Amino acid sequence: MATKGSNSIHRSSSRPLLDLSKAEIQGNVEEKYPTILLPNQSDDLSHLALDIGGSLIKLVYFSRHEDQSTNDKRMKILKDKLGILNGNRRSYPILGGRLHFVKFETNKINECLEFIYSKKLHCGGWESHHSDSTNDQNAVIKATGGGAFKFADLFKERLGISLDKEDEMDCLVAGANFLLKAIRHEAYTHMEGQKEFIQIDPNDLFPYLLVNIGSGVSMIKVDGNGKFERVSGTNVGGGTYWGLGRLLTNCSSFDELLELSQKGDNRTTDMLVGDIYGTDYPKIGLSASTIASSFGKATLENKELEEYRPEDISLSLLRMISYNIGQISYLNALRFGLKRIFFGGFFIRGHAYTMDAISFAVHFWSKGTAQAMFLRHEGFLGALGAFMSYEKHGLDDLMVHQFVERFPMGAPYTGGKIHGPPLRNLNEKASLENISWMEKFLQKGTEITAPVPMTPPGTTGLGGFEVPLSKGSTLRSDASALNVGVLHLIPTLEVFPLLVDPKMYEPNTVDLSDHSELEYWLTILSEHLPDLVDKAVASEGGTDDSKRRGDAFARAFSAHLARLMEEPAAYGKLGLANLLEMREECLREFQFVDAYRSIKQRENEASLAVLHDLLMELDSLDEETRLLTLIEGVLAANIFDWGSRACVDLYHKGTIIEIYRMSRNKMQRPWRVDDFDAFKERMLGSGDKKPLPHGRALLFVDNSGADIVLGMLPLARELLRRGTEVVLVGNSLPALNDVTAMELPDIVAEAAKHCDILRRAAESGGLLVDAMTNTLDGSKEKLPSVALMVVENGCGSPCIDFRQVSSELAAAAKDADLIILEGMGRSLHTNLYAQFKCDALKLAMVKNQRLAEKLVQGNIYDCVCKYEPAY
Amino acid sequence: MDPRRAETGKNSDQIQSGHVYHLALDIGGSLAKLVYFTKNDEHIVGSEKKKSPMKASGISNSSRNSPVLNGRLNFKKFETSKINDCLEFINSMKLHLGGVYKIVMIAMVMNAGCQQPESPGSQTITIKATGGGAYKYADLFKEKFRISLDKEDEMDCLVAGANFLLETIHQEAFTYMGNQKQFVWIDKNDLYPYLLVNIGSGVGMIKVEGDGKFERVSGTSIGGGTFWGLGKLLTKCKSFDELLDLSYRGNNRAVDMLVGDIYGGMDYSKIGLSSTTIASSFGRAISENKERDDYKPEDIARSLLRMISNNIGQISYLTALRFGLKRIFFGGFFIRRHPFTMDTLSVAVNFWSKGEAKAMFLQHEGFLGAVGAFMSSDKHGLKELLANQKVERPPSKLSFSLDQTQVPQQDGELNGDESIECSVYGA
Repeated sequence: MATKGSNSIHRSSSRPLLDLSKAEIQGNVEEKYPTILLPNQSDDLSHLALDIGGSLIKLVYFSRHEDQSTNDKRMKILKDKLGILNGNRRSYPILGGRLHFVKFETNKINECLEFIYSKKLHCGGWESHHSDSTNDQNAVIKATGGGAFKFADLFKERLGISLDKEDEMDCLVAGANFLLKAIRHEAYTHMEGQKEFIQIDPNDLFPYLLVNIGSGVSMIKVDGNGKFERVSGTNVGGGTYWGLGRLLTNCSSFDELLELSQKGDNRTTDMLVGDIYGTDYPKIGLSASTIASSFGKATLENKELEEYRPEDISLSLLRMISYNIGQISYLNALRFGLKRIFFGGFFIRGHAYTMDAISFAVHFWSKGTAQAMFLRHEGFLGALGAFMSYEKHGLDDLMVHQFVERFPMGAPYTGGKIHGPPLRNLNEKASLENISWMEKFLQKGTEITAPVPMTPPGTTGLGGFEVPLSKGSTLRSDASALNVGVLHLIPTLEVFPLLVDPKMYEPNTVDLSDHSELEYWLTILSEHLPDLVDKAVASEGGTDDSKRRGDAFARAFSAHLARLMEEPAAYGKLGLANLLEMREECLREFQFVDAYRSIKQRENEASLAVLHDLLMELDSLDEETRLLTLIEGVLAANIFDWGSRACVDLYHKGTIIEIYRMSRNKMQRPWRVDDFDAFKERMLGSGDKKPLPHGRALLFVDNSGADIVLGMLPLARELLRRGTEVVLVGNSLPALNDVTAMELPDIVAEAAKHCDILRRAAESGGLLVDAMTNTLDGSKEKLPSVALMVVENGCGSPCIDFRQVSSELAAAAKDADLIILEGMGRSLHTNLYAQFKCDALKLAMVKNQRLAEKLVQGNIYDCVCKYEPAY
Repeated sequence: MDPRRAETGKNSDQIQSGHVYHLALDIGGSLAKLVYFTKNDEHIVGSEKKKSPMKASGISNSSRNSPVLNGRLNFKKFETSKINDCLEFINSMKLHLGGVYKIVMIAMVMNAGCQQPESPGSQTITIKATGGGAYKYADLFKEKFRISLDKEDEMDCLVAGANFLLETIHQEAFTYMGNQKQFVWIDKNDLYPYLLVNIGSGVGMIKVEGDGKFERVSGTSIGGGTFWGLGKLLTKCKSFDELLDLSYRGNNRAVDMLVGDIYGGMDYSKIGLSSTTIASSFGRAISENKERDDYKPEDIARSLLRMISNNIGQISYLTALRFGLKRIFFGGFFIRRHPFTMDTLSVAVNFWSKGEAKAMFLQHEGFLGAVGAFMSSDKHGLKELLANQKVERPPSKLSFSLDQTQVPQQDGELNGDESIECSVYGA
């Protein structure tokens, strides 16, 4: 553990869920289920809960890792400086980790058992994790659902575990409460095929009505954690749909029946108001296409069952049942004064028509005063609730900002359905070292085409009970299914304390719910993909393995993009920041730890080589000119951005220094957004009035190379010279060529060789732990210098969401009175409109024509220098 | 003597006695209902029955010197799909032959001078009609028999019919639970507001606050049409009544998933459900690999009936609760005074209201709309009829009185054609 050091952060996110390296079979290989020792798994403590329903088994399992080496010197000094309490992380009941959501079909319960077995999920209890015995007969797994009774013996026999049955309704409610509090965009409305995520204030959640549509329907009034009552229900539910559907059509599965409904036209089976009146019945507000009587048309005709299309019957059934549930739910919500109605259960399954029909009914009967809401993790409520019933899960105390949801590449292919590789050949020792999900993925790669057609977002055209206009043949039944990602629990994440109004804060500047906007950015990302793959492969020396992973990454990421084009809300509310983060996450999934590693290194070296000359030049200027030149320098150096297509083209034409010079020469004030004078006044004052320098500045840095070395470091140096403490805020994980918090100390150390100010500040900030004390200066006055520090921001994306930052950054922010956001990702794509409690300077060169037009009514390469005094 | 029986012979497609003065139609999606008034022959009018309506209404005939017209209100229905039979029936009434008096009828206005039924010529008869079919079949009536349908709003008619019946007929409302039928006497002055649930093909729920004061507050598309439509597809029954009969013999356990099926025979007492509560209608048709033909049609019919009755009962109760209505009356052809239907509706209301509310039914459910349509025209026709009869002065106001003693109460069979004694008098 101690030797892993900071690298463990990379590992935790990038490695496959199951680390099979050095695995070996322990004990008798002849046994049916020999124990498999997975030594590299040992630091992961897992726990598991099950919801075994009639058709699906849902697993929720948690894995955590004791990484986060806390004994490197940087951290220690940071802790002293920033007042982070030692053992801060230990004070959390859990150390952080991941919640995984996996489904299996109940009739393939063996796959589920093997999955549990291969991941050793059944032997990783909260208390028993020290035990390496997988034959622990006392292991108890929380389970709910009817199958918890039915399959209890099977689990005992095969895995030696007892299922501890939890009450179904307790679990449902606990699961829903947890999700609604923990996941920012868990709830959404679904009208006319359009999803909209609703952010719910966790303090204003109760009371609500939870409608669980299984075989039957339960309506539960929820007043708080563990405080709920089943107030109503109906026997007309999913079982009725499937049961009647089976009798009336020859469908062999629920999904088949559901899929049929999309091609249906219920006019052939339902009696509409128009069938009775020949026209609308305006007196009571019923239009001709309102259903007067479900299946009433069949009474008027002497047709045999076989003469009706199964599609029509299915749609008619679906509407009848959905509408009825919506109506009864609304009446109950009204009766008990509940402001929100959440619908869940297997009947919905993310099926657009079903949700539309329920929404329509609620809207119709409430005359628009109530809305039906759905949950993204709806299928997992029970399993999650069972998980919550463990006494020591510690999840209760976590806050919404401590969760980050990430979408593994399996998601677009499985449509959020069955996930998890079959692992039956684990018994064969020979294959042990080769198996990983990646192999499976690559083997299957050739079969995979884009999972969904690239069409505009599917509108069902279903105004509840109006006849669908589009027959929806392009919409697969699971096309609108929402994917469920892996929920990363990071207890160290906090809300950035300097946000003026965290509740109103929205990181994304660009709203991707505008379809043309989404299309544009998806296209940009697609076009950029080949170059990114080149870089990624090159970063690992262009080996065959890296090429294969590169291909796989390209395919997976393209699939994500295609999925999003089809269903923008598939992964929750989508902003540009999420999109960019997904790309990085996807790279990491394919074990490209740092695709731009070599490029970053090369550029850093090239820039450091000219840093000395630049500093000399700066020092020859008077204070006022120097400040302007420094800001110009930051803006000019921001051109080095591998995330910008235009800039990538530039790279191919000149050297770094040439481009930098050219860029600087172009700096003509006024910039497109130019608050420099206001900033200068705050810094230098006017006339004789000299303002107090800032106490501490947080510099959110962007790219490696010239950007950090020739842009931000000189600016940091100027602040230090003025007596302002400087904290460089870098990414926790690599994203494009952004400089990371891991890399910053080395860069600073190198720069410090050229500059005394930087050196002393870096020493003071604990960044030069290995550097020899400079004996030349050692004799001089040992004035304690203001510190230059480095903290990580908690992100792995080119953008930053200030609702979820690292605890170090949050701690560093407490005494900060100036923040400088640099680069498009952090100051334009996100946070352009963010308001802070301290002075804020946002600096960026706009390297995208569309963004320039949209945000600043300007052109590509325009500059933004936005200064906002403390709010 | 039972005039009703006498008149409700299976083939009574023509008027057997008396004269038709007044006819109204309610053409629904599945059934067409007729209500018409026949004036009794003189000897019947003069018989011992003459007094009873007077007593019932509490109005002294002699002192007010009001005109009185005794006769019978007749109820008849046809399947809408056999609308031609209905047309034939109306045509066969030879409405204009009633003309001992020069009739300009209430529900049936004949052009003056039309004397010969066999030669319709250019005359057009107008009949009050309601229900969706009044629009849909208007052309058919006109083309075939030169009958023009004067459309009355369906809901107006329903409410007028229900109000009339509840206010006028002593034993109109009753409860039905566990095979126990119990008439409920309702104080005329404490009738409103109430919820009227009309179960036709679909279901309309109407909040009634008084004469002509009402609002459709809710409804559901799962109604009689759903029962009959799904039933037809699933059981090959040839008629609604056949399906109902089937349901009576079935056992829904074969197709419904009960709470006990899920929780292993134990009650899920935590949420107050007994093991025989239906958890999911048709939910058992999932788990077994049986084909449609493997299920008994009786069981399917029973399950359907329970599903639909339960649902209507629940939504009705919730709606009544929402608007603070103390009584729920169920009407419409779906019920047909079928004991099992009434029972499931009552059980549902009882279950969801935890015993606080009771489902009530009307003796004449199914004919509310037709009665309402019939009532809607009383300003013109009957008044004139009375005026013609007693020339002294035209009545300013009309009242109906139905002879209580003639209302059948002994069974639940008032679902076919029938007639009841009634008197019309003006004041």
